[in-house]
Amino acid sequence: MNQSLRSWSLIAGSVLLLALTGCSTIGAKPWERARLARASMQLDDHAVEAGIDDHVYFSKEASSGGRGFGGGGCGCN
Amino acid sequence: MQLKPDEEKPAELPTLRRSLVAASCALLSATGAVHAENTDWQIDSALLYYQEGKGRVQAVEPVVSVKRDFGDEHVLGLKLTYDALTGGSPNGAIPSASPQTFAAPSGSSLTQNQQVQTYTTASGRTVRRLDTFSLYTATPGELPLDTSFKDQRVAIDGSWSQPLTDAVKLSFGGGFSKEHDWTAMNASVGLSRDFNAHNTTLSLGLSGEHDAIKPVGGAPIAMSDYTLFQKLRQESRSSTGGQIGLTQVMTPRWLLRLNMNYDQSTGYQNDPYKIFSLVNADGTVAGYRYENRPDSRVRESAYLESRIAFRADDVLTLSYRRLKDDWQIQSDTIDLKYHWALSDDRYLEPHVRWYRQSAADFYHLFWDATKPLPQFASADPRLAAFTAPTAGFKYAMTGPDGGEWSARLDYYFQTGKNVQKGPGVLAPLDLYPGVKSIMLQFGWRFGL
Amino acid sequence: MPASFDQAVRVESRPGGLHAACFKAMASPCEVLVDTGDADLALFLGEIAAQEAWRVEQRYSRYRSDSVVARLNRSGGRPVLVDAETTALIDFAKSSFQGSQGAFDITCGVLRRVWHFDGSERVPSMAAIKPLLELIGFDKLTWQSPWLTVPEGMEIDLGGIGKEFAVDRALALVTAQRKEAVLVNFGGDLACRGVPRSGAWQVGIEQPLEPLQAALLLELKSGALATSGDTHRYLMHQGRRLGHILDPRTGWPVEGGPASVTVAAGSCTEAGTLATLALLQGAGAGAFLRGQGVQFWCQPPA
Repeated sequence: MNQSLRSWSLIAGSVLLLALTGCSTIGAKPWERARLARASMQLDDHAVEAGIDDHVYFSKEASSGGRGFGGGGCGCN
Repeated sequence: MQLKPDEEKPAELPTLRRSLVAASCALLSATGAVHAENTDWQIDSALLYYQEGKGRVQAVEPVVSVKRDFGDEHVLGLKLTYDALTGGSPNGAIPSASPQTFAAPSGSSLTQNQQVQTYTTASGRTVRRLDTFSLYTATPGELPLDTSFKDQRVAIDGSWSQPLTDAVKLSFGGGFSKEHDWTAMNASVGLSRDFNAHNTTLSLGLSGEHDAIKPVGGAPIAMSDYTLFQKLRQESRSSTGGQIGLTQVMTPRWLLRLNMNYDQSTGYQNDPYKIFSLVNADGTVAGYRYENRPDSRVRESAYLESRIAFRADDVLTLSYRRLKDDWQIQSDTIDLKYHWALSDDRYLEPHVRWYRQSAADFYHLFWDATKPLPQFASADPRLAAFTAPTAGFKYAMTGPDGGEWSARLDYYFQTGKNVQKGPGVLAPLDLYPGVKSIMLQFGWRFGL
Repeated sequence: MPASFDQAVRVESRPGGLHAACFKAMASPCEVLVDTGDADLALFLGEIAAQEAWRVEQRYSRYRSDSVVARLNRSGGRPVLVDAETTALIDFAKSSFQGSQGAFDITCGVLRRVWHFDGSERVPSMAAIKPLLELIGFDKLTWQSPWLTVPEGMEIDLGGIGKEFAVDRALALVTAQRKEAVLVNFGGDLACRGVPRSGAWQVGIEQPLEPLQAALLLELKSGALATSGDTHRYLMHQGRRLGHILDPRTGWPVEGGPASVTVAAGSCTEAGTLATLALLQGAGAGAFLRGQGVQFWCQPPA
């Protein structure tokens, strides 16, 4: 694993650690979730649109995926 | 015997009864007793119109996705995608000072059922199968585009997800995609677990894909001379990938997601239609060769997404992705969207994206004909170094039936970075003209 | 639908030119009366109602390990995200709890751990009841729609409103299909829409102490009826008969009340809730219902 990905893992690890140790300022209580429950805050809200984006960018760039599984699946130029 | 009720109804309802009547009404209307929306079925559809500048690719892509909730978060998803592409795609050769003519396999081949009137062959024997070619010519200074480029793709994807316990969720996915020269199959499995009262979600995913590639006229022998038509029948490649994801609720208005992806692909990585130019010292073209890429590619990427809610229903989404592969390509993508709620039923979403990538270590705009051929070489513009900004917006409104209509327009353009100058007669020419494109998308999603 | 259910819907003709589609759901005989001479139409509508009854049962039965209720009850004190329908039911339970000063409580099911109404004299001790009272009280749940937290050890039970809710839902689904007058009856909780050509729905009220005789006849033209009380579930205590209605505030059966009470109201859900609340008033059931301004019929205690 290269240098930059190692630093990413470090960030991930710190966030996880912070969360798992129950840092009281992080997170939302069940009764504070109204805002998070709205459609606009859902991570995979516009899956069809995201799929179209992935396909278009994949056809012109060397990168794909990242957000979730995806990319590939066609030999489009 | 007929019964009289014990008591007549008074005019005014007592408090408890009044609250019960209100609560019953709320219950029965909220659960959609008759007309209210029942969201068992979610349909999300879109029509994309895509157009590149200067006679290049045009695409029309309708997508329909259906999700069925069988209750308790047991969700089946099906997605059907069709796309039709026409127009010209760069074949990899550079513009030249003189006209260049190319022959592309046209896809149709003559069979014995067709009325072939005569054959010309060196051996004098009758040919059983004769491939046909379409010729195309690039004028001086023009980027050679394979105008025979025409493709239709149909893809179907399915997914199933369900909770195993209150905190653990399992999902499966599979897909099949078919075009005339390319068949892809993929499958994935994912497991996620919530921690900290659902504030932290850790997910793991594995995926695999297999592609069968049957280029029109056969797969060219790598690095072979373009004019010799040395072809093999078919090729394939497969890839496996893994993903670790972490989603964290930071505050009641802030959500963070981090994904780490690893993907390894082995097998045929070439683009069977891409060639590169051999250039003499004076800038004249000495010939063309089919490209050759390593037969494996390992990619690692990290993706960070932040969603922050503002005001009543505004959301700022910012994401950053870094990708690296063992072809020495490194890319950075920053994507910014602002979901701006104009009212309860309309929103405007301005969008900007900025992308840059470095070139693959075997990318060459052209190859010096006086030097021996390298082991790997490709002039595919997708492997070049470039930057590409995108800007656009989306407008959406919710109808009285709860369905959402949307229209989106994005403008994308690519400009080459450190583009090599050509020798001799090529010097004045722009060898990497980049590409501009617009995306127009109409969306309609609704519940049944 | 799960295979364990008896899924048959059969049609029979009834007096007054009606057809009835009959099936079993929620451990009760269910039927849909349709004012039509067309048996196929009655079957069609009956199947719609049956599907809905089975669906509600599957989702909210506490006996089914895959139900929403079972999932909530084994959440171990963690918040659980519930769907829109469950949200509406919990909201309803909350309003009813507040409106009845805690008498109507979906968390009182834990009392079933010590009370077994099998006609015997096995009455639990106060020592056994007392710790359970700690686990009762809607206000001990954390309800921040759509997240519900059921603390460890507590249980919720939507059985008290599930059947009536299913009746209202099924009636709405059936009448959305056709214009014919329809009456939906799930185990004695019923609601109708439209007046049959014979003039009115003829509804018998079971006399609990003579279960097989429908001695009282009621003509119903609109609205809903629900009956609470069960003469087959009781305990004997010091020579008295204790009914199965438990007061969530004391953990003890309500004494001195009617054997059963039938309430007429606009919706079956409302009628059923009022009937349950009335039984919780014990001897004050009649006065309570009189105070609510509804039509009702009480069967005197044994």
